[in-house]
Amino acid sequence: MYNDVRFTLNGQPMVYTGNPLRRLLDVLREDYGLTGSKEGCGEGECGACSIIKNGKLVTPCIIPVGSIQGAELLTIEGIRDTEKGKCIIEAYAEGGAVQCGFCIPGMVMATYVLLNENPDPTEDEIRLGISGNLCRCTGYDLIVESIHLAAQKGAALWKK
Amino acid sequence: MEEVKCYMPQTLAEALQIRKDTGAQPLAGGSDLMVANSRGAGIVPGFKKPILIISNLPELKGIRQLEDGTVEIGALSTSWEIHTSPVTHPLLKDAASRMGAIALRNSATIGGNIGNASPKGDMPQPLILLDAEVVLQSVDGERRMKVDDFIIKTKVTAIRDDELITKVVIPPQKFTHIFFRKIGMRRSNAISKLTLSAAANIQDGVVVDFRASSGAAGPKVERSREVESLLIGHKVAELPDLKGAFLDAWCSDVIAPHAMPEYRRNATRRMLEYFIDSLVAGHPEGRVE
Repeated sequence: MYNDVRFTLNGQPMVYTGNPLRRLLDVLREDYGLTGSKEGCGEGECGACSIIKNGKLVTPCIIPVGSIQGAELLTIEGIRDTEKGKCIIEAYAEGGAVQCGFCIPGMVMATYVLLNENPDPTEDEIRLGISGNLCRCTGYDLIVESIHLAAQKGAALWKK
Repeated sequence: MEEVKCYMPQTLAEALQIRKDTGAQPLAGGSDLMVANSRGAGIVPGFKKPILIISNLPELKGIRQLEDGTVEIGALSTSWEIHTSPVTHPLLKDAASRMGAIALRNSATIGGNIGNASPKGDMPQPLILLDAEVVLQSVDGERRMKVDDFIIKTKVTAIRDDELITKVVIPPQKFTHIFFRKIGMRRSNAISKLTLSAAANIQDGVVVDFRASSGAAGPKVERSREVESLLIGHKVAELPDLKGAFLDAWCSDVIAPHAMPEYRRNATRRMLEYFIDSLVAGHPEGRVE
């Protein structure tokens, strides 16, 4: 039986000893001060809280912290100062992708996973890649264009 | 509300013992239970029973194909793993790939999707068509039953309080034509309004096998071997004469939609008729789009 939850958060080993049934989103925001993940729907549908768990996009609003034993987590705070993170953030700024900004951390995380898996996506592939991230301001077009921009400008980064 | 107890076993044996001793509710991906019990931001979900977090049990992971073509899917396999596996059936891949949003597909598990027993659950629908079985394990042993028998009705299954779903087993399949449709509010990130799988095995102009299953069209996934048998054993050339009786029976007797029944009966009828007409028109083997 596990008595605590051990995982890696943005490269740092963590030991969590509180209630394992708390939502991972609450633990990230309240215990670790990582407020980049936003709560939108709280039901795993809007993508505003999206983070990366073992390389895959997940929504921590529907994940109990007790279920992430051994996982490697990346939040927006963990990628924003990396080359890839900066590439996406600069492309979003240049492309005018951001209006109110609430969906953007989740959108950036979805973009990060998308470009890691597919460095040169078509428009359809981009739209599919962010299909779990809802934005109520932009109408998506400028976000899609900005992701194109990130793919072009960061080509060497994404192709590894 | 008092906080419920939560168990985090490291092994299946440990999990089964806790399940037997406490009857704690298993939680795999959390995508159903966390939402159903949510009390809002910053508050621990209001679970009514003790919770058994099985998310990390290695025994319940992995997808393998046996020598005879049988595919065994560990209960913790996510929708994404099922969609991208080289050995899972195309109808199951279709259903898995259309579940919710990308992030949800990385959390939601096949065991949870079956155990939750929602008539709108995406994976039970093709599983029932494929004659899939669930493997149920307890400290006392293991039993198997068809997914179709395991899911009794909305939110009700045949699981015992001391059992866990450990595997889903899909027997080898022989179909020449398959068909899958999911109708939702949008292409991605949508709950099913209505789903249908159909499959046929045509050999030398004869319908050797024909199956269909309807999701979100009744208190559980609906399938009828009796109605399917109206078409089986007949020549493809006879289908135009037989399809009326088949469609009438399927759409009025087999499915039992509780909301918007006319829409669901009509849409199901049109999808099934389209598939049958494609067979009659000599559609090449493979997926009927």
